[in-house]
Amino acid sequence: MNEITQYAVLFSLTLGTVGFVLAIYALARAIGRLRAEPAKDVPATAGALARDPVWVRYHAKYYGYALLFLAFDMEMAFMYPWAVVYREEGLVALLDMGVFLAVLFLGLLYGWSQGALRRQ
Amino acid sequence: MTLAIILFALALGCYLIAVLEDWAVHGRLDPLRPAVSALALLGREQVLPRKSDRLFFEVGPVLLLVAGLLAVAVIPLAPGLIVTDLATGALFLNAALAYVLVALIMAGWGPNGAYAMIGGWRFLGQFVAYAMLIVMTITAVAMRAESLSTTEIVTSQAALWNVFYQPIGFVLFVIAAMGLAWLPPIDLPTGGGDLAGGVEAEYTGARLAVLRLARLVIVLALASATATFYLGGWLGPWLPAWAWTAAKTLAVAAAMLFLGRHLPRLREARYLAVSWKLGIPLALANIILVGVIALVVPI
Repeated sequence: MNEITQYAVLFSLTLGTVGFVLAIYALARAIGRLRAEPAKDVPATAGALARDPVWVRYHAKYYGYALLFLAFDMEMAFMYPWAVVYREEGLVALLDMGVFLAVLFLGLLYGWSQGALRRQ
Repeated sequence: MTLAIILFALALGCYLIAVLEDWAVHGRLDPLRPAVSALALLGREQVLPRKSDRLFFEVGPVLLLVAGLLAVAVIPLAPGLIVTDLATGALFLNAALAYVLVALIMAGWGPNGAYAMIGGWRFLGQFVAYAMLIVMTITAVAMRAESLSTTEIVTSQAALWNVFYQPIGFVLFVIAAMGLAWLPPIDLPTGGGDLAGGVEAEYTGARLAVLRLARLVIVLALASATATFYLGGWLGPWLPAWAWTAAKTLAVAAAMLFLGRHLPRLREARYLAVSWKLGIPLALANIILVGVIALVVPI
């Protein structure tokens, strides 16, 4: 199988999954419909509507980690191609990436010392 | 034909994992229970919460199932028994499983319920904790195999399984995988007894059935990924190849399910702190260590 065929298979698998889910929904609908009763559609908040709106700004208390995560995630874009050719390149590859990872690790340590790694 | 066999194996595996989970959580071994539960869910009413975000609410479970299936598609069951043997298989697995986060945030945001919302945002924190551990450990696996193709990763372990070659990576990967599949003790988005079901709280009937099925597929995907990356996949004596993959996958799934029963639930802040202060330095050390070994020893 060439690459285009492989991705075509994956795409049809995705479409097939959506079709499968739609078939399940159709089956459930054929078994019975929703009986409309008052207050049945209230979200699970102890049976009463929430006083305040739910869609509000959520304090992401882990944002320090999230910022560091961005830096590390970018680094992974370089790591995968490097990992594949690692044995061919040998010691040079180890030293190159060693320096890169050391700089990144120092960044992690600096962030840690400045209190990035805690619930804000 | 291959696709049909793999889909059948997938359905069977999900069913067995559902039986195992029931056994691990409730302590009862009932091989018919998942079928009865699925039929009961199909028969129930599908309530749409008021003022919900219909698009996110409907797309969440479907996207979760698609993500799980695409992840399974690059896992080999035996030589030749794989949906697509992508050259970038290990990377594709990551990319597919990244949508678990998107799907759960959609499922949390969609129903406009407080518990679901908190469950979704908690999972975002959990994602920041586990994501780096998954990708860094897979990098070390790819370094040894000199390829990202999952079948080549399996054949690279012919002399020695990766679980012995890079044990640190194995432990980190399993812990991160438990976070990804929100298995106890890291089941923050659903958090039974804490969030009234969390992201599952507003789903009923067939939609809940799809959500739970998707979760089983994701558990299976991660268990089989662990078997492929660290336990030598289909490699093994006497038994046919597919039997080894199946046995290893179910053993990993059983270990992950039974482990959580004996541990208290981890808070999101604690999980983040442990994985960034201990996990990531260990994962980096694992990469360097595997790098040195790969240059010195030819296996």
